[in-house]
Amino acid sequence: MPLESFTVSEPLTMGVELELQLLDTLDFDLAPRAQDLLRALDRHSGAWDVKPEITRSMIEIGTSIQREHAPLRDELHHLCRQLSRGARKLNIGIGGGGTHAFQQWSEQQIYPTERFHYISELYGYLAKQFTVFGQHVHIGVPSGDDALWLLHALSRYVPHFIALSASSPFVQGVDTGFHSARLNSVFAFPLSGRAPFVLTWNEFGQYFEKMTSTGVVQSMKDFYWDIRPKPEFGTIELRVCDTPLTVDKAAALACYLQSLCRYLREERPFEPAEDDYLVYTYNRFQACRFGLDGEIVDPKTKQRQKLRDDIIRTLARVAEHALDLRSLEANNQIRDSLFEGNDASWLRALRQGGAPLPALVEAASARWMMK
Amino acid sequence: MPPAARPETEAPAAMPETSLSRILPQAPAFAWPELQHIDPVLGLAAVMLVAVVAASAMHRLMHLPRLAGMMLVGALASPLGLGLLQPADLDAWKPIIDLAIAALVFELGSRLRPRWLIDNRWLAASCLLEGLCAALAVGGALVALGAPQMSAVLAALVASSTSPIIVMAGVHELRPRGQVGERLLLMCAINSVLAMLALKLWPLLAMAGQGTTGSDALSWVASALFVTCGSFLLGLFGGWTLDRAARLSRQRASMPVLQIALVMLAATLASSWGLSPLLTLLVAGMTARSLMGHRLTVEPYLGSAGAALTVLLLISLGVLFSFDGVQQVWPWVLALVGARLLGKGLGVVLLARPSGLGWRQAAGLTLALQPMGSLAVLLVADNFRWASQLPGFDPAVMQALLISASLMQLSGPLWLDAGLRRVAGECREEARHAA
Repeated sequence: MPLESFTVSEPLTMGVELELQLLDTLDFDLAPRAQDLLRALDRHSGAWDVKPEITRSMIEIGTSIQREHAPLRDELHHLCRQLSRGARKLNIGIGGGGTHAFQQWSEQQIYPTERFHYISELYGYLAKQFTVFGQHVHIGVPSGDDALWLLHALSRYVPHFIALSASSPFVQGVDTGFHSARLNSVFAFPLSGRAPFVLTWNEFGQYFEKMTSTGVVQSMKDFYWDIRPKPEFGTIELRVCDTPLTVDKAAALACYLQSLCRYLREERPFEPAEDDYLVYTYNRFQACRFGLDGEIVDPKTKQRQKLRDDIIRTLARVAEHALDLRSLEANNQIRDSLFEGNDASWLRALRQGGAPLPALVEAASARWMMK
Repeated sequence: MPPAARPETEAPAAMPETSLSRILPQAPAFAWPELQHIDPVLGLAAVMLVAVVAASAMHRLMHLPRLAGMMLVGALASPLGLGLLQPADLDAWKPIIDLAIAALVFELGSRLRPRWLIDNRWLAASCLLEGLCAALAVGGALVALGAPQMSAVLAALVASSTSPIIVMAGVHELRPRGQVGERLLLMCAINSVLAMLALKLWPLLAMAGQGTTGSDALSWVASALFVTCGSFLLGLFGGWTLDRAARLSRQRASMPVLQIALVMLAATLASSWGLSPLLTLLVAGMTARSLMGHRLTVEPYLGSAGAALTVLLLISLGVLFSFDGVQQVWPWVLALVGARLLGKGLGVVLLARPSGLGWRQAAGLTLALQPMGSLAVLLVADNFRWASQLPGFDPAVMQALLISASLMQLSGPLWLDAGLRRVAGECREEARHAA
């Protein structure tokens, strides 16, 4: 099967997708209520989109195409309000966070669509274990070649987004010690990890044809890479973020990525190389395990530094671009969060204060629903 | 607790002389005790043992829900079957049975989130409408079939409620997770409380029907207000007390004991002060949940001791079943059951979409609301012969009501299974094997 051509889109436009938890308001376990909520929202008044996800305790929301921070944040607020109103009407809680703190994966039910049943049959129990919740950010690029260049240039910044968004310290009722345990679930999939190092759309097309001829993949959707091109949208899609506990954080993360992309595209501070990936998995692990306190290795200089320090330096480098994109407020929010701690730290602090896990999930839900 | 006095056993009749008795040395004669003369405490304990085993066997062999099996065993032990136990025997057990009921009602209260009624006004309207439609349909059907008007109204009030006992026990077995299960609990609580209040006001309605209201009317209204406000305040106090006690004890393991103590205290005080144990315990459960949040862990049936109480309760329901005079009143029974089904269905379906319910879910909810019981009257009565305590109730209508309640209690687990699992699809497959 040949690769579809890359749709041209306006550079640096962005869209945000959030996978959300549907919760029972009594015990705050996951509740299989996606169909009820989707029915209640089928005539919503926004340009945004809401759709089912792999299990019936999840939904995915997506914004319309945005260019700046303020409209993106406003749309996310509007979406959050309407979703919360629909959820309250049905006695459902909605929450962010990369994992649910104590759900049992075996109790999850696959959402009844052809695609999800196919995934369930192919991956077996992994499909139910995929009840994890991520934020995906799309950034518009004008061509396939641009997409691949940007995708690989961004690879060294992937730990930034993992650590900043990390909100999944608890899995199946246990503190994993990780800040983002969600990505461990994603890693179990055979086509996860990073994209192959090719820099032109033609080369990528050849790779795609080889893969489809093996029967391992049927479409681009079968790749669970950390960053992947999305030819039908004309975007690259960053998939490493946990769903944050608030929509404000989600908007800020998207705008930090937007300004970083502008910096990379306009200043071309380095050319991506295959060797960038020598330290990729190590850095990724450090971000997942230790969050902002993780120690990463620069693939070029081989120097070690704290992830928090690297983000501070990067924020300084992209500040001018953030100003031009009117997303300085978002980047300031990112800088503040470096000292306040990420959502995983917030959840852990609650737990250490003696809150039982259901109370933790309830508090996270209250933050998301802006109660 | 001393069992009720039993008539003395008659001396066994002398054995007829046979060839065998002439050959064998004379031994004291042995005779099986007559079932009717067994100590009721011993009898009920034996029936409990049999009920658990027999219900499991019936579940395995006939796929009958265990709850229905236990009630069947109770019915078998009652005068309907072997006559091992009489309804009057249960009076001695009433405090324990009340505790079992109270534990279930408290748990029901702790599962409710009253805020939902504010967030979804259509749901609040639907809760009232389904009870109202059921009452109107039942009352109308009975009057159309020639039942006395006031008795038909009384039967309609009782029939408007759904049995919290069967619903809670069924929910424990089926473990539904979804809209239908949650709405079922809410509607069951609301229609039971409304039926209870209406029954408290029944003497007033009866007097109005006979055109004899006078100075007594005010006192009946005052009495109803006293019951409502008093039960509410006692429930609030009960929930608050549980919260304080739990903070002081700080032991998670002591929570079921504290809950049982609270439930007994609240139910006893409500009964002795002439309040409604039903409303008191519902409010106590809601208050405790609101104050304690996730610190309140209500085990199903309040733990394993409570589970034994529930078995006892289900058997007692079976013993209390009445099918006397069914040959005479069967048209009224059919009309009552049919009209109730249609009335509840209409009430649910009319506001299904505005309240956020799908058509299939509405059908499931209608079926799940069918278990009917006499709890609303049971908890305002002093003993199990509550029927005699309602003045001016036509005996035939009463009998039709009792038969309908028996029928809808016995078949209750089947209605729940159909509504929650088969139609609404809210139960996991393992729950089917457990139920």
